[in-house]
Amino acid sequence: MIAEVGLFALILALFVAAFQSTVPLIGAARGETAWMNLDRPAAFAQFALVAISFGCLMWLHVTSDFSVLNVVDNSHTDKPLLYKITGVWGNHEGSMMLWTFILVLYGMAVSVFGRDLPPGLRARALAVQGMIGFGFILFILMTSNPFTRVDPAPLNGQGLNPLLQDPGLAFHPPFLYLGYVGFSMAFSFAIAALIEGRVDAAWARWVRPWTLVAWCALTLGVAMGSWWSYYTLGWGGYWAWDPVENASFMPWLAGTALLHSSIVAEKRDTMKSWTIFLAIITFSLSLLGTFLVRSGVLTSVHSFANDPRRGLFILILLGVFTGGSLILYAIRAPALKGGGLFSPISRESGLLFNNVFLSAAAGTVFLGTLYPLFVDALGLGKVSVGPPYFNMVMLPLMVPLILLMAVGPLLSWKRGDLPEALSRLKFALIATLVAIVATLILAGVSSRSVWAALGIGLAVWLFFGALSEWAGRIGLFQRSFSDSFHRALHLPRSAYGMTISHMGMAVVLLGVAGSLAWRAEYLQVMHPGESAMVAGYRIAFIGAQENVAGPNYTAERGTFIVSRNGQFIAELQPERRVYANPPEPKSTVAIHTNFVSDIYVVLGDPGVHDGHVVHIFHNPLIPWLFFGAIMMVLGGIVSLTDRHHRIGAPLRRLGARFRPPAIAVAAASPLAVEHRLKPVRRWVYVLPLLAFAALAGIFIWRLHLADEGITPNLIPSVMIDKPAPDFDLPPLLASEPGFKTADLKGKVTVVNFFASWCVPCREEHGFLPLVTQAGLPLIGINYKDRPEDAKAWLAELGDPYKTIAVDAHGRTGIDFGVYGVPESYLIDKQGVIRKKWTGPLTPDLIRDELIPLAEKLK
Amino acid sequence: MRLRLALAASLLLLLFAGTALAIQPDEMLANPKLEARARAIDKELRCLVCQNENIDESDADLAHDLRLLVRKRVVAADSDEQVKQYIVARYGNYVLLKPPFDAETYLLWLGPAILLLGGAGAAALYYRHAMDSADKRPLSDEEVRRLAALIADSDARNKGA
Repeated sequence: MIAEVGLFALILALFVAAFQSTVPLIGAARGETAWMNLDRPAAFAQFALVAISFGCLMWLHVTSDFSVLNVVDNSHTDKPLLYKITGVWGNHEGSMMLWTFILVLYGMAVSVFGRDLPPGLRARALAVQGMIGFGFILFILMTSNPFTRVDPAPLNGQGLNPLLQDPGLAFHPPFLYLGYVGFSMAFSFAIAALIEGRVDAAWARWVRPWTLVAWCALTLGVAMGSWWSYYTLGWGGYWAWDPVENASFMPWLAGTALLHSSIVAEKRDTMKSWTIFLAIITFSLSLLGTFLVRSGVLTSVHSFANDPRRGLFILILLGVFTGGSLILYAIRAPALKGGGLFSPISRESGLLFNNVFLSAAAGTVFLGTLYPLFVDALGLGKVSVGPPYFNMVMLPLMVPLILLMAVGPLLSWKRGDLPEALSRLKFALIATLVAIVATLILAGVSSRSVWAALGIGLAVWLFFGALSEWAGRIGLFQRSFSDSFHRALHLPRSAYGMTISHMGMAVVLLGVAGSLAWRAEYLQVMHPGESAMVAGYRIAFIGAQENVAGPNYTAERGTFIVSRNGQFIAELQPERRVYANPPEPKSTVAIHTNFVSDIYVVLGDPGVHDGHVVHIFHNPLIPWLFFGAIMMVLGGIVSLTDRHHRIGAPLRRLGARFRPPAIAVAAASPLAVEHRLKPVRRWVYVLPLLAFAALAGIFIWRLHLADEGITPNLIPSVMIDKPAPDFDLPPLLASEPGFKTADLKGKVTVVNFFASWCVPCREEHGFLPLVTQAGLPLIGINYKDRPEDAKAWLAELGDPYKTIAVDAHGRTGIDFGVYGVPESYLIDKQGVIRKKWTGPLTPDLIRDELIPLAEKLK
Repeated sequence: MRLRLALAASLLLLLFAGTALAIQPDEMLANPKLEARARAIDKELRCLVCQNENIDESDADLAHDLRLLVRKRVVAADSDEQVKQYIVARYGNYVLLKPPFDAETYLLWLGPAILLLGGAGAAALYYRHAMDSADKRPLSDEEVRRLAALIADSDARNKGA
């Protein structure tokens, strides 16, 4: 019953969304106030219905209703309550429900806070918001219905992946989605402004706080994801440049650019079409992230259950929203007139270059993440783009940006004074030099410490640069102390927000620099009573206790004592858990932090004599990375409390006629009107659309391949048309002679790598006689197997091979380029490899590919 | 180690038996210098059967074999580059997490610079464009009078305040 209520509410929400996306829009086009004013009730109704639906799903999970497939697949009665609740979004269907719930939450926020917005703008924005809602609710109903029933209902469920049974699941996805989806506000208002053909300061004034809300949430979401990965995965790191991580980083970079460009749009009435463009791109990158995680077009360690059909649906949504908005942009943006002029040395220029660097950084992450796909689509082969690439190319983009971060806020609007600004940074420069020299003296001069010193210097520069800006504003040391104090009290909160956020960024940098340069690692087998020395700490292994019972797991718990110079510091208890449902292992890390550095202990596999593999990290300054991120978010929140920013507040007080005074003057004055810019050439505005069309084409091609079962990690062999590698392997059966490279000469041969532990080999095995029936000698290479297992396997399934050689350690496999058994190679009379099949041979492959090619080679 | 939030294991992952975790002590070389080199190389090589991991962090059996092979080559006095080429000869450039600069990757490596220069170029055009569009005519008599009035007005207000 509850499931049906949830489904029914969702279907109703779909109809309301359809209503919301059309009626107010038509009303706005025709100037019918009554129609326009239906936007707010519609948004409210949509919120209520989706909330009911989401609540039903949560109820089903909390009460463990196993007549619902989604609960069966992702829950279990022995799961603690917290994970029954958070487990709602720990799967594809539920996470899309959360996504939609947050979307309609923002929609409702518009109807609550936006009462005094110009009705046309609000009606159009809510209509766009309704369209997004319609698309995603339709997506859920058509491909990812979480309310599907199962009959008969099983007694219990499959349980939740142990890695997700962590408090991190309670915070990371909701904040991430609050960020992703929050950018839909800027997007919807950008579309509304494009439809209206007018972007004024009132528009920017409305969009700015919502962008700030989304940015705070996304910053927190990304930081929490990073922290979660750090404390739970036992790898001692926090960022891996994985495609899914990049998918959250791209909207963050673009959103940060948007946050800054909207300041220019609001205060100076310029950079407007660029701000609109960024609003479109930021939300599109959020959608792209959703697509990448769920479609399987890229390989990632994080991905949800990949399904090309779902991927296609999200791609269509992406096409409609991004493609549609870029078309609108190409048509309307050329008509948007720029406002105030500014010199290359000015606050505007500082923000402009912030945007240049952040956009280039977002573009670089985009390029690196999707490049393997581009190369593959162009038929140029397969490449991998990993952390070493990103670290290398992001550095030169980030360093000038951070240098600039200290200078930009010191420049005045329109025309700044660079020498004056730099002279105000004297103190920051001195602090930077002191920090660099001090680091080198304390850490000694080595290539590692030089990098660390430069990183720390950069952070100090930014930190004191931000501080100097604040000191300058309040006239610290230049005016009387009481005057400065008075000024400090009356400084707008948005100014404090900027200072805190920029300082937070500096603290993040310290964390990055410290952890890159001075991370110490220890990896050994430890026996009870033994100690490890890591970065001056003694870590003694007391022992491991087995069968420690948890709520839904049993654990082996190690006990370690951390001390320094004989002084006890902490007791750490990392665990190796095995969960009951699903029966999967998970190791939990034990971390001791003194807020400057972390001792991080992972208990590994047990060995002989109670020995355990122990992995210990000393991670200096890593806690600061997360403190810095929190500071950045705090800065954003402080800024949000600024009266000037308070959402809709000035509009409400002064009524809809309110216009910021500076702009009102500018608009009224004939002087300013003549200063407006000539529009840029039209074709420039079409470029993004063309780029997007090409991208969509590549995605469609990749989804099509996935539909045919070709996954992105199927890699072509470089051994084709090269002589088979040198090998000389012993036989599996004592009666046979073994096999070596020279034996390949003179006839066309099929070499098949197989193993008894390999599941797909079993599937393939029955078809192998088709090869021998075609008169081709079939050589089996038993890959990394136990001979007795292989013999039993052959006894059970039959032996189609002419002879079987044993590659016990897989070295010959590596020489052949084997990466996933079964693999089969067709080798010609000269002993040259002509073709390779990865994965099981099927009758079709044998008949249509293998035999015809072998005949040709004969 | 980093199975992460992977809700679905790929088929290929299932093909491999054994549950070796990341790098293990018994794989390591006794010589810390050589071991440090080997680990640095590990971090630049992609695990072929994993979703997206280097062989240092991977649990896969093949990653274990490749780690041992890397150490064998390091001990055999190969340079870092030679070790990587040894693996590339068998698996192709796909195994390199930092792809080489060649015809396939010109755009990848030059892309960031192109983006940055493109942005800077666009900004430069913007300034020129703005200068061109700026109205450079001298003020008309009427405008001079209005400006003077505005300045006088604002001065008067400032004095009053």
